[in-house]
Amino acid sequence: MQRRYRSIPDLKTNESARALSFSDAALACKLTAMGVLPGARVEMVRQSPFGNAYYVKVDGVRLALRKEEADSILIEV
Amino acid sequence: MKEGATIPPKIALIGNPNSGKSTIFNQLTGLRQKTGNFPGVTVDIKEGHFKCSDGSEVMLIDFPGTYSFYPSSSDEKLVSAVLANPKDPRFPDAIVYIADVTCLEKHLLLLTQLLDLQLPILMALNMADTASELGIKINVVKLSEELGIPVVLVSGRTGEQMPKLTTELEKLLLPNQNTRKPFYDLNPVEKQVSEAIRLNFNEENPYRALQLAHHFSWLPFLNEAEKATIATIVDTKNFQSLRYQVDETLDRFDRFTPLVHRTILQPPAVAKTPTDRIDAVFTHRWAGPVLFFATMLLLFQAIFEWSVYPMDWIESGFSTLNEFLQTSLPAHWTTELLTDGILTGLAGILVFVPQIALLFLLITILEEVGYMARVVFMFDRTMRRFGMNGRSVVALIGGSACAVPAIMSSRTIGNWKERLITVMVTPFISCSARIPVYLVLIGLAVPKVKIGGFLSAQTLVFGAMYALGVIAAFLTGYAMKRWLRTREPSFLAIELPVYRVPYWKNVWLTVWEKVSAFVVGAGKIILIVSIALWALSRFGPGDAMATATADAEKEAAALNLDAIHQEDLIKQRQLEASWAGQMGKAIEPAIRPLGYDWKIGIALLTSFAAREVFTGTLAVLYNMGSAEADINDRSDNEAKATMRQKMQRETFRDSGKPVYSLATALSLLVFYALAMQCMSTLAVVSRETGSWKWAFFQFLFMSGLAYLAAWLVQVVFA
Ligand SMILES: Nc1nc2c(ncn2[C@@H]2O[C@H](COP(=O)(O)OP(=O)(O)O)[C@@H](O)[C@H]2O)c(=O)[nH]1
Repeated sequence: MQRRYRSIPDLKTNESARALSFSDAALACKLTAMGVLPGARVEMVRQSPFGNAYYVKVDGVRLALRKEEADSILIEV
Repeated sequence: MKEGATIPPKIALIGNPNSGKSTIFNQLTGLRQKTGNFPGVTVDIKEGHFKCSDGSEVMLIDFPGTYSFYPSSSDEKLVSAVLANPKDPRFPDAIVYIADVTCLEKHLLLLTQLLDLQLPILMALNMADTASELGIKINVVKLSEELGIPVVLVSGRTGEQMPKLTTELEKLLLPNQNTRKPFYDLNPVEKQVSEAIRLNFNEENPYRALQLAHHFSWLPFLNEAEKATIATIVDTKNFQSLRYQVDETLDRFDRFTPLVHRTILQPPAVAKTPTDRIDAVFTHRWAGPVLFFATMLLLFQAIFEWSVYPMDWIESGFSTLNEFLQTSLPAHWTTELLTDGILTGLAGILVFVPQIALLFLLITILEEVGYMARVVFMFDRTMRRFGMNGRSVVALIGGSACAVPAIMSSRTIGNWKERLITVMVTPFISCSARIPVYLVLIGLAVPKVKIGGFLSAQTLVFGAMYALGVIAAFLTGYAMKRWLRTREPSFLAIELPVYRVPYWKNVWLTVWEKVSAFVVGAGKIILIVSIALWALSRFGPGDAMATATADAEKEAAALNLDAIHQEDLIKQRQLEASWAGQMGKAIEPAIRPLGYDWKIGIALLTSFAAREVFTGTLAVLYNMGSAEADINDRSDNEAKATMRQKMQRETFRDSGKPVYSLATALSLLVFYALAMQCMSTLAVVSRETGSWKWAFFQFLFMSGLAYLAAWLVQVVFA
């Protein structure tokens, strides 16, 4: 069965996609305040050395996100 | 608080993290700043003074950086809490909002929230220098018109347009009736809730009333009855706090994004900037952690290499002064108080300054450059295994200089449990106050041999002490993670700022601020302890001192000692009879299992308040003039050798066995690595955790652990 949503961890290194919405209200509150908005262009830069965190660029701004935070940002398929 | 003629108007500096707020604050106030001590306020924020053109004073308050009114760390909560309460002593008369012009869109969220509070406000568009380098074009006049507030394009770094900023800032304080239309229109539920709260709380501003509805549960200025009132309103209207926060944020972005596009012309983004190229190496899977550990090694290497010289100067300066005073002043107890009490104490404080200053300097540079955020990113996973947050790394590194500011830096951690664990384990990291203790004891216990021809055994043990602290910190973190429960969410989400060449004025000011806080804060305690120690060893109960002196004189005569040795013997017997001697003997049974005698007991007691007192105490106990007690000096000079010889000759009174065996010295080392012996740290812990309970627990836990570990070492090595 095909998944209906993808989220940031599904992106390959250097791949980018448009953010659509959030799956968690508390994280959405934090992330929107930091400028991660639906419609923003998200690029996967790299994984953290010990895993579980991602270095991403959101509309050109560099952010470090934990797995759960990245998971909560749904992106276009 | 009543507004009097003497209270200068307050201007708040507010902005996102990394907007350059501190830089502008430093530009405006220079050295006329201090950590705030507003009455009844526990979290410090920096305040500074600034003179207007007419000569009147303005107080500038530097708030912690935050992204919005919907906070997740205690640092950020402060901004919301102050702005929601006009009665707060820090509530500003006007606001200077600092925004980074190179990513203005993100920075307008908080500005538009501030607009809705209807306070006089202006926006400083910072980083003008970078903007022109990048070819960004800004229509400042249009931006100002559309937002309805003064806008100044400045550079905190080059100082460009700062005079314009100060004139606009002064104009803000003039009376004006200018009320703006709210930027954000409340939705129907928000409107009803806000209305109800306004009626109950006599609040004029609808948006501030809305803030009460969102934050009432944790706002410190509301009492239980008030909280209950708001809770009822919120419940009956079915107010969905989290959802409305997100909706409001998105609505604001929808409104100001077009405005930004109308007023700012961004050139097309460059594919790979220098920051990207640096990060490709410094956050790389393998290279990243390796480079981090290499950086840390270099940092400590530099500190030990470079700080030796200034430390030598300070010590020899003090001993010269001490000798001079002893010979030129009349022999009286007041002279002793001055030389043995006060001067010894002062030397004990100032000798740390080079090390602390260097450590803070290097850490501040790493922070100013933007590297620390990368460390947070790389080690978040690792730290979480041990109950902490990536941000804890910053506190732990800082702890190697001094636990006090390091613990305060944990405020950026939002999750209560992660923050508490960070606060509890940071004092395990060997701070610079432990270094002199390590040096004396290692010099005493570890032979000067090279292992395999190049690695010095002494250096190895020294490194092992640091490692022991780190291991204790992580194991404690792990245990506390298992023990504490919280359902609070934990965040990493951190911005990785563009790498910048450090701005030296910021660096110097930060180092200056931290070092002077250490000298004043910890210094006070060290000085008091030093004076008390002098008094305790100078005086004794009843006529014990006189008897001891007489006995020693008789004994010296019987042994036919020369004048110098007679003097030595008398001093030693006096010390034994003094209050300090009595106390040391009283606790001897408790520390005997660790292999310590009553003299070490005194040193343990006196170094309770500040561990750096240990070496000074031993110097007094082993009957060395403070001038000779040149033990922080790593070069093997005569003074150290005599001290060591004296210590090595020391035997137990009953068994006659030597006190300083290898086992005892190692056991003492371990004790000092683990024990909580710093009043200032305990005070900060109780302040940051909000109760004495945690400070007390930390004290018991660390001391208990130190005792057990020291005992184990004694048993194993004896
Ligand atoms: N190029 C440039 N850099 C700046 C300017 N103002 C601040 N910075 C740098 O931006 C970084 C963050 O500044 P800081 O004042 O610490 O930001 P804060 O987190 O808002 O207090 C530091 O590296 C500053 O040196 C500026 O006007 N131009």
